[in-house]
Amino acid sequence: MSENLASQLSVKPSRFNMNQRKREAITGYLFVSPWIISLLIFTAYPVIASFFFSMTDYNILRPPEFVGLKNFQNMFFEDPLFWISVKNTVYYALLSVPLGLLVGLLLAMLLNQKLTGIGVYRTIYYLPSLVPAVAATLLWLVILDPRLGLVNQGLRSIGLAPVGWFQSAVWAKPALILMSMWLGSGSSMLIFLAALKEVPQSLMDAAMIDGAGALQRFRHVTLPLISPTILFNLIMGIIGSFQVFGTAFVATGSANTAGPLNSMLMYMLLLYRNAFRYYSMGYASAMALVMFLVLVLITALTIRSSSAWVYYETAGRQ
Amino acid sequence: MEEKNETQTPLNRRQFLKLAGLASSAALLAACAKKATETPAEVATQEAPPAEKVTISWWNQFSTPTCVEVFPKVVQDFMTLNPNITVEFEISGGPPGGGDYMEVLLARIAAGNPPDSITLWSPPSQFGAQGALMAIDSYMESAKVAKKDAFYEGPIKSCQWKGETFGFPASAGDGNVFFNKKHFEEAGLSTKREDFPTTWDGIKDISTKLNKKDDKGTIIRTGFVPWTQRWLDPVWTGLNGGQVFDPQNIKYLIDSENNVELMKYWLTYLDDLYGGDIEAFNVIATWGDVYPTGAFNLGVSSIDQSGAWAVTDAALPFDFEVAKFPVGPKGTKSITGFWPNWFALPKATPHPSEGFLFTEYMSTDGWVTWYINGVMDIPAWKGAAPDIYCKAVETMFGLERAKDFHKFYTDYLNDTATMWTSPVEDFASTTLGQAIDEILHKVKSPEQALKEAQDTCQKKLEETMQSS
Repeated sequence: MSENLASQLSVKPSRFNMNQRKREAITGYLFVSPWIISLLIFTAYPVIASFFFSMTDYNILRPPEFVGLKNFQNMFFEDPLFWISVKNTVYYALLSVPLGLLVGLLLAMLLNQKLTGIGVYRTIYYLPSLVPAVAATLLWLVILDPRLGLVNQGLRSIGLAPVGWFQSAVWAKPALILMSMWLGSGSSMLIFLAALKEVPQSLMDAAMIDGAGALQRFRHVTLPLISPTILFNLIMGIIGSFQVFGTAFVATGSANTAGPLNSMLMYMLLLYRNAFRYYSMGYASAMALVMFLVLVLITALTIRSSSAWVYYETAGRQ
Repeated sequence: MEEKNETQTPLNRRQFLKLAGLASSAALLAACAKKATETPAEVATQEAPPAEKVTISWWNQFSTPTCVEVFPKVVQDFMTLNPNITVEFEISGGPPGGGDYMEVLLARIAAGNPPDSITLWSPPSQFGAQGALMAIDSYMESAKVAKKDAFYEGPIKSCQWKGETFGFPASAGDGNVFFNKKHFEEAGLSTKREDFPTTWDGIKDISTKLNKKDDKGTIIRTGFVPWTQRWLDPVWTGLNGGQVFDPQNIKYLIDSENNVELMKYWLTYLDDLYGGDIEAFNVIATWGDVYPTGAFNLGVSSIDQSGAWAVTDAALPFDFEVAKFPVGPKGTKSITGFWPNWFALPKATPHPSEGFLFTEYMSTDGWVTWYINGVMDIPAWKGAAPDIYCKAVETMFGLERAKDFHKFYTDYLNDTATMWTSPVEDFASTTLGQAIDEILHKVKSPEQALKEAQDTCQKKLEETMQSS
């Protein structure tokens, strides 16, 4: 190595390198500055403003008036619809998330086979995920119509009583969950499929040689190796289910009604109603803040719990 | 390693990209900068002198083919009468540029950049109380035709809050009962309007005769289902001598004895005629809808309720008659309700004088033109000639019937329920609807459900009054 090269490779930074690195850093920041500025203006500012408005009485037509924690007090202790919406949303999340994961995984396992035309089947099962939520809901309103819908016609043909579906206080939420599974399973199926493809065949072969049956191979080989993917889908599913809005909005016909006995009054629907029907922006902002904190807490708990059941190949169970 | 000589070229790639990043950041900041425009107050005082040409904007929610055909002619008539005023508008169902009409409108009002004239499908009393609209009393005093007493009393009150007027009711399509004459003939009932029952017991009695069930006992046709139209709730309470909201004393009266009696009556109606299970009953058909796919239109219901506009809009495929609402045990006379198309001027409208002239025209002569050439949405203005009628009704039912319907609806407008007068109208309507739903589902008694609705609405009213 020449002396010049040795000196150039020296760790001690020269004044020239500092200026060069500084210039490169500044150049980098300048390139990302449009994105950072738009993030600050269109995301961070509204979030911070929402925190502020949550402690005000604000109807957008008059300046906000600071009221402290009054919105939160109303929410937790005086608004019966708040607890109805929480109950409905938790019910929806508790059923739709596990079912969505299960259906997505089962579909992925079915589609993870070497069959002629398997690509066509994968496309068919993924297509519902591409349907816009509004169009899908209108479609399901027809399918689940109590009088003329396909499902009730099928029930009648086998001698069963028709179900009210969206017109029944008992069946409205299951109808929403059914619809969400049809809409959402394709995406989770695709992600699970990718994870299943990463399971090394050598491990499966080794397990077979050791005498493991299909169920044992799934439980002791496949499941641990796809557990990070399950964690991802679980977190995304929880966040998505708590924020369900579009399907409930279209199924109820408007934000002013929420199905029989408020059975489809989801948290985001109530938030929308307070914001854009009653123009109580302060109260709606308070609801948004509570939703944010709850989701942060649930996500943190889920990630914390993952150390007990998620297996990372590079580090084992963390 | 030789130092790159970056100064040898005038502008190298790295420098160009750096400058591009700076320029785009500056452009983004400039686009987000507040516009240096006049404040609304300054704009409002800088109105053009009368002879100068002024362009005003009109926002509306109309979108039907008939609206697209007729409203431009109505606006053109106004511009012909006022050659110095040009009206910019579109009949697209929403604000220019799209989006939810009320959301965009309120955002523009809040930003101090509203249109000059607007139509509303929620009462001006509500928005005026919240500070979104301009009070027009001083303009009305000097107006040519749009004085306060030029409109039917009920509809003009829907535009008033605490003595100030915040808009005009252009239309006052009033509610009424529709009945299927063929079903009545088959049941041996008179099809004359004057023979239609005038009491709740009377309509329940003929509903019993009109009800039909199949071999399995499933209802295949009903008489009348009274609880189906939320906008008519103030009418039904008024028919029993009650009220939902008292604008004079600014208080809710939801849980009054009269209203509890109304709910109990509806429960016995449900039990005696329709099996007692509201969900099982609702599965049979879409009750309370005179439009195609609704039970009445399909012949599954013999009697229904709607507004005057339904005469032309509902396209009923059979011969029908209209009648007044029956009166409850504590009621004294038949009253109706109305659902106007309101016109108003937003707060800080740029051209209030010209905007008022346009709004006045559209709520008076303009709406009469629309009524004659469009759909049967009764003008709320009493100054219309008494012999007008809707040509669409004449085409569908003949001249005699068109005149008869016009007289029926305009006469009925003299007896209206107190409605659309609350500053929390939307909130109260939703809350009352939920209470009625709970009562019909039998999860709460009428006393309990109405008391809770009363407390909720009164509290919301007091909070709104405090902050307004």
